[in-house]
Amino acid sequence: MRKEENLISYLDWPLFISFLLMLIMGLATVYSVAYTPEDPSLFDLDKQYGKQSIWIGISLFLGLLVFLIDSDIYRKFAFPIYLSTLLLLVIVLFMPAINGARAWIGIGSMGIQPAEFSKIASSLLLAKYISELSLKQQTIASVSRAIAIILVPMILILLQPDAGTFVVFTSFLFVMYREGLTFDPLILSIINKVPGFRFKYTWVGSHFIPILFVILFLSILTLLLQQEETDFYFLPFKVSGSMYVIFSLIILSIIGIAFIRQFGSKRDRSRVSAVILLGLVLGGGLSYTVDAGFGSLAPHQKDRIELFLGLREDPNGKDYNRNRAMAAVGSGGFFGKGYNKASVSSVESNHVPESETDFIFCPFAEEWGFIGTLFLVALYLFMLIRIIFIAERQRSSFNRIYAYCVAMILFYHFAINIGMSIGFAPVIGIPLPFFSYGGSSMMSFSIMIFILLKLDSQRKDVLS
Amino acid sequence: MNFDARRYVLIFFIAIVGFSYIIRIFYMQVIDDKWKLRAQQIAEKRKEITPARAVIFDRNGMKIVSNRTYFNLMMVEDKIKNLDTAAFATLIGWTVEEVRNRFKEIVDGEGRYKNPNTGKRTANYQKIRAYPFIKELTLEEVSKIAPHLENFPGFYEEVTSMRNYPYLGGANILGYLSEVTREEVDADQFYKPGNNIGRSGIERFYEKDLRGRKGVKYVVTSALNNTIESYASGKFDTIAKQAEPLKLGMDMLIQAYGEKLLQNKKGSIVAIEPSSGEILAMVSAPSFDPNLLVGRRNIRMNYPKLVLDPNMPLFPRPLQAEYPPGSIFKLVQSLIALQEGVITPNSSFPCDKSLVGCHPGHHASNISEAVQFSCNPYYYAVMRRIIQQKLRKNSNIDAELGLNKWHKYMSSFGLGKVLETDVSGQRPGVIPNSKYYDKWYGHHQWAFSTIRSISIGQGEVKLTPLQMANIAAIIANKGWYYTPHFVKSIGSKGPLSNFKIRKKTMVGIKHFEPVIEGMRRVVNENGGTARSARLDEIVICGKTGTVQNPHGQDHSVFIAFAPKNNPKIAIAVFIENAGFGGTWAAPIASLVIEKYLNRKIKDKDKEKRIIEAKLSNLKEIPE
Repeated sequence: MRKEENLISYLDWPLFISFLLMLIMGLATVYSVAYTPEDPSLFDLDKQYGKQSIWIGISLFLGLLVFLIDSDIYRKFAFPIYLSTLLLLVIVLFMPAINGARAWIGIGSMGIQPAEFSKIASSLLLAKYISELSLKQQTIASVSRAIAIILVPMILILLQPDAGTFVVFTSFLFVMYREGLTFDPLILSIINKVPGFRFKYTWVGSHFIPILFVILFLSILTLLLQQEETDFYFLPFKVSGSMYVIFSLIILSIIGIAFIRQFGSKRDRSRVSAVILLGLVLGGGLSYTVDAGFGSLAPHQKDRIELFLGLREDPNGKDYNRNRAMAAVGSGGFFGKGYNKASVSSVESNHVPESETDFIFCPFAEEWGFIGTLFLVALYLFMLIRIIFIAERQRSSFNRIYAYCVAMILFYHFAINIGMSIGFAPVIGIPLPFFSYGGSSMMSFSIMIFILLKLDSQRKDVLS
Repeated sequence: MNFDARRYVLIFFIAIVGFSYIIRIFYMQVIDDKWKLRAQQIAEKRKEITPARAVIFDRNGMKIVSNRTYFNLMMVEDKIKNLDTAAFATLIGWTVEEVRNRFKEIVDGEGRYKNPNTGKRTANYQKIRAYPFIKELTLEEVSKIAPHLENFPGFYEEVTSMRNYPYLGGANILGYLSEVTREEVDADQFYKPGNNIGRSGIERFYEKDLRGRKGVKYVVTSALNNTIESYASGKFDTIAKQAEPLKLGMDMLIQAYGEKLLQNKKGSIVAIEPSSGEILAMVSAPSFDPNLLVGRRNIRMNYPKLVLDPNMPLFPRPLQAEYPPGSIFKLVQSLIALQEGVITPNSSFPCDKSLVGCHPGHHASNISEAVQFSCNPYYYAVMRRIIQQKLRKNSNIDAELGLNKWHKYMSSFGLGKVLETDVSGQRPGVIPNSKYYDKWYGHHQWAFSTIRSISIGQGEVKLTPLQMANIAAIIANKGWYYTPHFVKSIGSKGPLSNFKIRKKTMVGIKHFEPVIEGMRRVVNENGGTARSARLDEIVICGKTGTVQNPHGQDHSVFIAFAPKNNPKIAIAVFIENAGFGGTWAAPIASLVIEKYLNRKIKDKDKEKRIIEAKLSNLKEIPE
């Protein structure tokens, strides 16, 4: 009885409700996409929506089981769980290939994808490992072990091959960054071999991930805007792509400095302002360099990059999927075409391949328009930030690290999946959590969330 | 060390990605129309529906050109599974090799597309598209194939329509259809590759009246190009509309009868209703079954044969063959001379056979007798008076004036120029003027004596059978004509406006009487040259001609109109290498007239003799 009370009063309702909302929206979209007048029943097992209903049912049942099991088990059994998913990842390599990848264990539609579950297992083991680590004395061995925890499943997944999930595993690097894991021991061991070098600390080693993120983000943004050249009548020169980026950076910096002056402590003010100004100079320089560098590339190299970024079109060739997907999204307009009225991305019309799985964002955007997509993106952002909020209120670092793993995995899926439907990310097939049709992803994401909710509901029982 | 502040870095990353995605999506969905247009290109198709071509009726309401259902055997490569090529070849009656070649032909036939951006060449052929594997199968053929097609996924039959000619006549006039060329597609937006266009005859001249209005259907299609639903519930669709039928002045029974009479002969029959200028029949012999040129397969098989046939069945003789008219020309000569006042109806000239040969036993004491006896010396004298009117002392200059005046008269009879009828490709014939002879003999180097053979319709003068028939129509009308034409009405509209203009000759109405009297005598009086054309109850007025032919036997020609009062039909019959006009051309004309006016033939023997006659040195067609 005590447990039941605990559950209801300590359950994080905002996260749970946003999770349920996504399940409903997702199922509705799968239903609309795969709907045919002959099989109108939501529970028609011949259709994707029938099966998806079953998957959701199973997922909720598994969620209930997670609630009933003591939360301690995840930390205690993190390593066995991890090992068993590794075993499954090995077994799956001996299964027959479906669509060119050995990703499935089991037969037909009842198969599961171990890669989906390995994300949970790796999260748990990483949380356990880092939480027990002494962060003040990081050694080559400690860093290497942390890397090994994610690298072993990554390699097995790449053998399937499943490039999407492989990329998703890099989301753990964000978690390591948050926890203060530094690559310094590795980097220093190399750098200090150079005669005369005696570093104790490299800024790059501990801020590797945000630096990479910022560089990638600014480079892609610059390249995307590279073709835009606007002639403002009040300016004596043409405004090129990198100028947009630099201008945006300046505005962001001003906002950032104003923000820190208002709310930051005295010590922070000057320090953060200096960092922001340094970032502005470096970011602006990067953007300009990328712009100029791209301009000096050979035509065929430009071609390849432009194709990758969706700037150049090859609508019936390599760019087929993305082109169709973007047409579907763009055709939604402000208010959308209406529920069940997707003409480009319905399964029947089949212009957008995989519109019920990897490209599920397309029919949603087509049917609900900008109103719908705005709500969807906002809901995701809310969920991600809520998870980070939950993470930060944990007493146990195991709980916190696990929560960050969940947040970052979901963030990756969100960013890449929607990004590939709007031309912001390369087309690598990964599902949109809670939306895409598919049993393994539905179950693994649900379990992931339920474990988090369970850990969170018992956060006060934890002493340390 | 405390890393708690790093949470804000991560929150910042998440926020910046979410924020830029929202801006991007807003741009794609609300601001930029590019993706909406792209979606339209992808998923919405404009389907054109070509209506069946307008049908054509004859003057009595008989449907002489209609449409018949045909089938195309379509192929979608993407849907073909485990094709048993040998079994498929057997089913359609081809060899395996032929089936393979046809595949290749379809793929290659689509050509290649050069991407303007990358310069890459890609095949236009798409596996998901439907292509006609065999075109134009008849119902009979397809009914043997269709039941077995379920064993060959990827193949199916599709209905199409093509021309059908229930009566075998008029092939040269009606014309035929064939696929549009690339130039025609570029020139007229109406056409899409694969459409048919009128290639000759009435089909070509009235193309725009026959083709109708295309329907347009906007549909939402799948990636496999299947129609899913109609776009916007059909709000923007238009319905295909078949054009209204054409009604010809042609009498199909007479046309067919004429073709029957001319079997095993080379020649023409042209019959005109004088009061309207409508062409009742236009026979070109030898002819061919118009169904031989229906559809691509037939054309490919039969067209070369028809082209190579030494008897030239594709050659529309009534419009394009130019013959010296022979003695029928004397009618026009008489009229011009009377109008010019160089003779009177009672002028008499001796039958001086030293000038030109003539048949014995007559003396023409007036113009009617001159026509009746077809007296050659008489017309030498008449022509001399027309040409040499003694208006100038120099006989050469005098001849120039006279000839050009004569030429003007001829022009007013529609001779020496194209009669702009509604089947294109006519020849103008030849009516020489002074320039013509200047080229031959030099300026002022000729006079009547040089050119006298044109007096009796020999020498340089040339007419088409259509022009000959029009002379008969002019005389029947006593001095005017409508340009002969085929189409009586287009839907509810009448004929084209230029066929409603009454054209007057330069000869006054009174001058026709003595000539017509002569023509009556030709058929109805003893000593007339066309006694064989006489009918008991219909008074035919006619004139025979026997055209001297340096290359072989003389041509037999006869023009006539009937009945004498209130003429209903004017006719010209021209039989190549058949001898006297009175022997062949006249009885043929008489049969056509009788058939047209009485709808039956009294003298079955005459009919039989004509039908069975083999004339004109017709060549055996090598198989």
